[in-house]
Amino acid sequence: MRVPVGVKLSAFALVIMGSYTYFANSIPQIESKPPAELSLEGGDVSPAQLVKFGEEIFHTKGTCEICHKIGEKGTRAPDLAGVGARAAHRRPGSTAKQYLIESLLEPQAYLVEGYPPIMPKVDKPPIGLNRSELWALVAFLESLGGTVDVKLDDIPKTAGAPAGGGGTAAAELTLPGDPKAGQALFTGKAICFTCHTVDKIAAGKIGPDLTQIAKIQTPQYIMAKVLNPAAMGTVPGYPKGVMPPTFGQMLTAKEYVDLVAFLLTLK
Amino acid sequence: MTSAATRRRVGHAAATVLFLAVFTHALPAAAQELVREPAYRAFPLIGSRLAVWAVAQLHLNFAAFILGVPVFAVIIEIIGWWTGDPKYDWLSHEFVKLVFAAFSTTALLGALLLFLFVGFYPRFWAFMTNIFVTTYWIYALLFFAETFSVYLWYYGWNWLSGPRKWLHVSLGVVSNLFGIAILFIANSWLTFMMSPTGITESGALKGSVWGAIHNATWMPINVHRLIANLVFGGTIAGAYAAFRFLNAETDDERARYDWMGYIANFVALSAFIVLPFAGYWLGREIYAFNQTMGITMMGGFMSWLWIIQAILIGVLFFGNNYYLWLGMERIPGSERYRKYIPYMLSILALGFMVWATPHSLIVTLQEARAMGGTHHPLLGVFGVMSAKNTAVNLMILTTFLSYVLYRRANKLSIRSWVLTGMAVQWAAFVVAAAIVVFYGVYGYFVESIVRIGFSVYQVGAVLGAIVLVMTIDVPMFRGARSTGPIRWGQIPPRSQYVLILLAVTFTWLMGLMGFARSGIRQYWHVYGVMRDTSVDAVTPALGYASNMITLVTIVFFAFVMFIFWLGGLSERGEAGAHAPVVAPTGAGSRAPRR
Repeated sequence: MRVPVGVKLSAFALVIMGSYTYFANSIPQIESKPPAELSLEGGDVSPAQLVKFGEEIFHTKGTCEICHKIGEKGTRAPDLAGVGARAAHRRPGSTAKQYLIESLLEPQAYLVEGYPPIMPKVDKPPIGLNRSELWALVAFLESLGGTVDVKLDDIPKTAGAPAGGGGTAAAELTLPGDPKAGQALFTGKAICFTCHTVDKIAAGKIGPDLTQIAKIQTPQYIMAKVLNPAAMGTVPGYPKGVMPPTFGQMLTAKEYVDLVAFLLTLK
Repeated sequence: MTSAATRRRVGHAAATVLFLAVFTHALPAAAQELVREPAYRAFPLIGSRLAVWAVAQLHLNFAAFILGVPVFAVIIEIIGWWTGDPKYDWLSHEFVKLVFAAFSTTALLGALLLFLFVGFYPRFWAFMTNIFVTTYWIYALLFFAETFSVYLWYYGWNWLSGPRKWLHVSLGVVSNLFGIAILFIANSWLTFMMSPTGITESGALKGSVWGAIHNATWMPINVHRLIANLVFGGTIAGAYAAFRFLNAETDDERARYDWMGYIANFVALSAFIVLPFAGYWLGREIYAFNQTMGITMMGGFMSWLWIIQAILIGVLFFGNNYYLWLGMERIPGSERYRKYIPYMLSILALGFMVWATPHSLIVTLQEARAMGGTHHPLLGVFGVMSAKNTAVNLMILTTFLSYVLYRRANKLSIRSWVLTGMAVQWAAFVVAAAIVVFYGVYGYFVESIVRIGFSVYQVGAVLGAIVLVMTIDVPMFRGARSTGPIRWGQIPPRSQYVLILLAVTFTWLMGLMGFARSGIRQYWHVYGVMRDTSVDAVTPALGYASNMITLVTIVFFAFVMFIFWLGGLSERGEAGAHAPVVAPTGAGSRAPRR
């Protein structure tokens, strides 16, 4: 039987595509996941914990290791081994942490000789580290041969991109909820005030300070955290499992939206 | 006009109207309303990302075809008009026929893509609309202009012949200008997503829309896509010719489609040779716009994508050269050049191996310790940019040499200066290769920022050699003595499978590059401005992407075969509707009318 040309060509094309597909599936499979947001504001974090968080940011969201190596000379950026000690002597009058913070926020202010001015501001998109993440990253860099003494207050209040959530779209996000009604819920029915601090409104110490929660967390995170706190993780330094998982049942849909609308005003 | 033709016209017009109706529906008022809607909706079963991915890739494939083919179709028509040789006019009409058949499918896929954006990514669409609304109107008007000029071009072929041929050729040129303008506008949207400019930190337009259009990657993508469309159009038209060749029932028909396949592949090859240079430019602009993006692309999670790309481009190089070598078998007098084929094959094979060498390897800790790192102690040297640039430039030179030998296979120059001319040509090859190798080796001893600049010298040497060799070749073989006409139609059937291989490989490569272009934005809809917060914000691994690319490519070819089959149906009912159909002959002799 004579096989039609169309069938032969189709089979041939399938074999070609199959070969490419097989090869692409046989090499290392690496996904690129969106980085998680780290929030340490108001948290009681030890220097060791801070360094650990900072190291993770160095390797993941900060994308630092694409150019910087530790203990190996890079062609694009300096070796960071010992930078914690070296930073104190880079610029007269600057402490190690001041130099490191400046290097992250204004990387063109001082260039190490022999390297091109290619480093981006890490608090701006697309890297967009928030204040907590900058704090942790500076602590990690200090730990490379120096003393970890950076505090959250050392990081300028203006630093840090509005955290994720859609960049521009997140900044413009408006919910149909009523923030005033939400504030009443916060200090009333929802009893949030017993655990959380919000400047001039509440002073709870069991959970994290929420004074700038809308700046450091995405709307998606806030909405999900209210409904399912366990699934969204616990801020380091705070006890796990304390936040009730019952707000979904306790609040009406309107109350829930009002509460979230209030939380989104906390910047 | 036949009833079949009328039905086709109505169909095309309906598709265009539907596309524009959908397009205008998505304009500002509607888009602003959408801001209040949820950011995302889920497409049933497969999810929104896969739906958009598949339709966008299909739309892009068809759009590339209908924008690429007319460029060389009109050039071929001009050659036919200039020389008075009717076979070129037949070939140009044959190419435009393919485009015409694919026109409405492209428009329908465009409309479907728009539906998906408006319906499933409403906030993203509203954001883009706020910036680019002005361009929507221009795009729609250009689409009208493109549609009607192509209709006139196709249907007016006989009407605007003879003394009015200049008008017909002008229509072809004008429709190409409209097509290129459409391409540039669509490119402004997607390049803005990669390298946004002209907006404030909050995402509002700062000045005019031109600020957003004229972003860092816009012109490099314009040029890259324009060239790639030619390659793509050439390979698909070549596949069509191969299909018709293998189905041909007469020698005459086989000769015609052999010739069509050769011309289509010649177009694809000519454009393909300069495509890597446009790619370098695009890569450089990406680095200049944002180092992080550039490094993510070449050295981050996407680094292995370039190994797959190297293999695909290696296949294209091998395929093109093999097709030319097979083609020489039907050229009397080519025997004297066949002895060079093993050497050229060796250079291609070595170049391919270097180009496909990964920079760093995913290894176990024990293997890494044994090697002293993730770079192989010997092979790692070949995985860097210096080696790869050298390899690809030598492969381009070799492919060009194949073409030069093919071109002169049945010609004996009668010029008195032929020996000098040939010596200069060979010297140009040797000097270009020496420059390429020199800068390739020197690149290992300088900083990366200096090394990147070396690729310009390498590219310049290769392009310079190509221009010099052709400048000598054309006059040297004008009026040459022929060793016999090309025996069109007598090429081995496996050559036609090579044309299919090239079409499938390039289509797959386009899918891969589409994934690369989109994937380097990672979890951003608009890089650094608008984050992807959907459930699909993860950029998938290459295996997943390749499965998707293969599926889309299969669907694309299924569509293409169906459309070409439809085109064949109408042909059966209109035998002789378009004259003159001629069998080509070789080496400058006139083609007899059938």
